[in-house]
Amino acid sequence: MDFRDKTVLVTGASRGIGAAIAKAFAAEGAAVAVNYLQNGDAAEAVASACREAGGDAWAVQADVTDADAVQRMVERTAEEFGKIDVVVNNAFRPYAFDPEKRKLFWDTDWADYRGQVDGALLGTYNVCRAVLPVMRRRPGGSIVNMATDLVARPTVPYHDYTTAKAALVGFSRNLAAELGPLGIRVNCVAPGLVYPTDASRATKEDVKDAIVAQTPLRRIATPEDVTGPVLFLASGWSRFMTGQVLYVDGGLVMG
Amino acid sequence: MERAGHLPGLSADAVDWRTLTFRRGAETLDVAVPVLGEAQIAELAERVRANARTFLRNRTVAEIAATIDRAVARLLDRDDPWRRKAERLLPLVTGYDAEMVRLGLTGYLKTFRGPELRKFIAEDFANPAVLDDFQPMPKGGFARAFGPELLLHVWAGNVPGLPLWSLISGLLVKAGTVGKLPSAEPLFAGWFAQILAEIDPQLADCIAIVWWKGGDEAAERAWLGRADTVVAYGGNDALEAIRARVPITTGFLPYGHKISFGMVARSALDAGKAGAVARQAAYDVARYDQQGCYSPQTFFVERGGRVSPREFAGYLAHELDALGSKFPRRPLSMGEAGSVASWRNAEETKGFADPSRALLGDPAGSWAVAYTDAADGLSPCGLNRTVTVVAVDRLAEAVPGLAPYRAFLQTVGIAAAPEELFALAGALGAVGVTRLCALGRMTAPEAGWHHDGRFNLLDLVTMTEIEGSAERAADAFAPYTD
Repeated sequence: MDFRDKTVLVTGASRGIGAAIAKAFAAEGAAVAVNYLQNGDAAEAVASACREAGGDAWAVQADVTDADAVQRMVERTAEEFGKIDVVVNNAFRPYAFDPEKRKLFWDTDWADYRGQVDGALLGTYNVCRAVLPVMRRRPGGSIVNMATDLVARPTVPYHDYTTAKAALVGFSRNLAAELGPLGIRVNCVAPGLVYPTDASRATKEDVKDAIVAQTPLRRIATPEDVTGPVLFLASGWSRFMTGQVLYVDGGLVMG
Repeated sequence: MERAGHLPGLSADAVDWRTLTFRRGAETLDVAVPVLGEAQIAELAERVRANARTFLRNRTVAEIAATIDRAVARLLDRDDPWRRKAERLLPLVTGYDAEMVRLGLTGYLKTFRGPELRKFIAEDFANPAVLDDFQPMPKGGFARAFGPELLLHVWAGNVPGLPLWSLISGLLVKAGTVGKLPSAEPLFAGWFAQILAEIDPQLADCIAIVWWKGGDEAAERAWLGRADTVVAYGGNDALEAIRARVPITTGFLPYGHKISFGMVARSALDAGKAGAVARQAAYDVARYDQQGCYSPQTFFVERGGRVSPREFAGYLAHELDALGSKFPRRPLSMGEAGSVASWRNAEETKGFADPSRALLGDPAGSWAVAYTDAADGLSPCGLNRTVTVVAVDRLAEAVPGLAPYRAFLQTVGIAAAPEELFALAGALGAVGVTRLCALGRMTAPEAGWHHDGRFNLLDLVTMTEIEGSAERAADAFAPYTD
């Protein structure tokens, strides 16, 4: 896929899946804005890996839950690269995926839900609002939102996290309906358990083995597995697809 | 720079050190290994022997096991500095994938916890107290088991932690211990001794972990001449050379190279179970890249199940591919890559003459599965995740072809119904197989296993018997004699 002359904004791109996505775009020639919240050094390292991979890149700090900060980030990115063709909403509020220590429903406060909804949905909302005026200047924009296959199959019921991601899927479909007439597509990529990332590092072997046993392709996803479908949805190869959810979990969820 | 070994009573400044350099990608680690002169060897051997006499002989085996248990607990604690160091440096030194090393260490070390050590001892001694004091014997009289005063281990290979088996065996029989580090993984054994030193300095003073360059005849002779018993690992040539230098009065226990394989009965090949069986088989192949004596090199797969042997080979291939993403194969040396390539070439050549053969896996990939319908026997593979699937009508038909390998057979991983398991076990044991286990467990022998069919502890001890006559005669000399 050729992303030369394309500008891509990836949120939460200093590590894990976001970093892998940024590098994958860069390897196809894209100019990538590597958004991060805290770890500037890691984001710089990702940006430099992007440049080595053949693209252009710069690290840009912004808390996606802060609308003003997002506005500034989008303006600076548009100034730097002249436009924004693709947005990947990957940032989310830190969450420890630990099946043994997760909160049971009766221990889960509304504040937990609100925190995750802010992380997954408010951040995406802010970025979409800010980026829309830039994207509308030219046809063919693509927004890819990172969901989870837990929405379809709560292998482990992470109530707050998965509910927020389910809301994100609904949000994305509505946005797809709204922006379709403007030539902007909105889709979701829903990975299964991705290992290793900082969020999944504590996941025990028995959990991974149980998932693998149920997974037709017989393994856990890696961050690099997620990049292909993201790039596909960002590219013209998927130009007649919008409002879709692509599951990237080795066939654990089909639908 | 990481300093290897453990030299009680010798100051580091007084010792010459040689640097072994390990590289993995952009990372480099220098390991300093000790090079001892003959006088130092003599001094260290005498000190370990004397310390064992003073500190070990009078301890109970339960006390020694308790100390080992505490050291192992430290290595199982992922927050312990020693464990963190092991997780960081062992992948660098051995090249194995970091996750594989991490999981492998935990799985392996678990087999040395206190209760496991008790099983280990009970396996060889019906009455473990025989290691502590004279015990009454059924035939009359009394007996006590004595370990060697100075036991020399010559370790080999790069599977992390492997020296622990014989090191712990020696300690359990109260032997003063000298271990020669394997150059391919010169760290773990020394770390274990240093952990013991933190927990129980007296016990650690009964252990020296040393190094000499393979083929350094002077150093080797100096050590071999001072030990009461020598346990040695390696290829038969290396063992042959060592044996030639071991004095005739010294006990010699060689553990040579072995070959292992898997067997899958048609009862395990229904549509529901075959996938899981293939996954376990693939795990045995991938773990430590087939560098262990217990790693399978061939799978005999029975025809007549719902899933055919050819289809099983396909499942196995895909599971190896999937495992390659979880546990990437380590970078191969030129020699290793050559072995894989020549094995592949040989398989391809055979395929020209026999279209039923298939070779699955890309030449540039990190695994390969050869499949054959022909009545091939056991054949060594190219290692590093290469394996042959041989289709057979009945698993028992594969057994006669194993006879030429009698001296080399070790583990068979087996998936079969109970009656088949026991019938095959009889036939396999008769041709020299010493261990049958479940697929998925081939590379993780259970606590107390009999390595190569031998007795880990019993082989190390001599029995001192007080015959009934001595006891009765003593009675005549008692002050209370009427």
